[in-house]
Amino acid sequence: MRQARTYSGILSGGISGRTGPHLLPLARIKKIMKKSGDDVKMISGEAPIVFSKACELFIEELTQRSWMVTMRGKRRTLNKEDVTSAVIATDIFDFLLNLVSDTGNSVEAAPLEMDISKSS
Amino acid sequence: MADEQYRLLPIANVVRIMKHILPPSAKISKEAKQTMQECVTEFISFVTSEASDKCHKENRKTLNGDDICWALTALGFDNYAEATVRYLHKYREAEREKASSQNKATSSQDKDDEESSEDNSRQPAHQQTDYEAPSPVLEFRVHI
Repeated sequence: MRQARTYSGILSGGISGRTGPHLLPLARIKKIMKKSGDDVKMISGEAPIVFSKACELFIEELTQRSWMVTMRGKRRTLNKEDVTSAVIATDIFDFLLNLVSDTGNSVEAAPLEMDISKSS
Repeated sequence: MADEQYRLLPIANVVRIMKHILPPSAKISKEAKQTMQECVTEFISFVTSEASDKCHKENRKTLNGDDICWALTALGFDNYAEATVRYLHKYREAEREKASSQNKATSSQDKDDEESSEDNSRQPAHQQTDYEAPSPVLEFRVHI
């Protein structure tokens, strides 16, 4: 069914009590995009829409990987350390390493070897 | 702390998506939810920067959906790129159908500009949401 419908509440960035066509608020996505760099000035209308899909996939993948860590520990509560372990174990999530190690240092996985002596 | 919340995607939306994957009995700690929120926000920034660099190199001012798809592949998220390209094409198709049915309804009166200069999605700036997403059957494989 390809009928396009108009959803009025979705740009408000909040939870309007109904799920619009996208799972994530487009205005908020756009705001985050703009903040990512000074040279991000103009964003086409479809870019946040593409991101809403990509973010959904990202969240699902990271959640799945984290949950596998949880299960290995025979637990039923997915905790922050499980997310950290999943990030460390996945190459494409390397961009998150600083983020997950900054927020508390209870990392149980293999220690990170970050060579900071070379950086200026 | 209220300011903090506006720089991240809303936690309820993030958690709703997490629950797509988790069994009904699974629990998620509050910290895990917050970490996920931070991670997905960082993901947006990371991919946007890459896409923006490409635009800049090609002397284009507007970052579009294709740039995002390209950046996803460039950064190793190939499986996301495939699904988002399909999603983008369906969105454009839906927009075209909507535009043509609107044209029929209003005849020549409200012939909205179908071609905006830098935006190839053809949609007016104030409307971003006239697309019905396909049902959430995701076709990505997690390589473990």
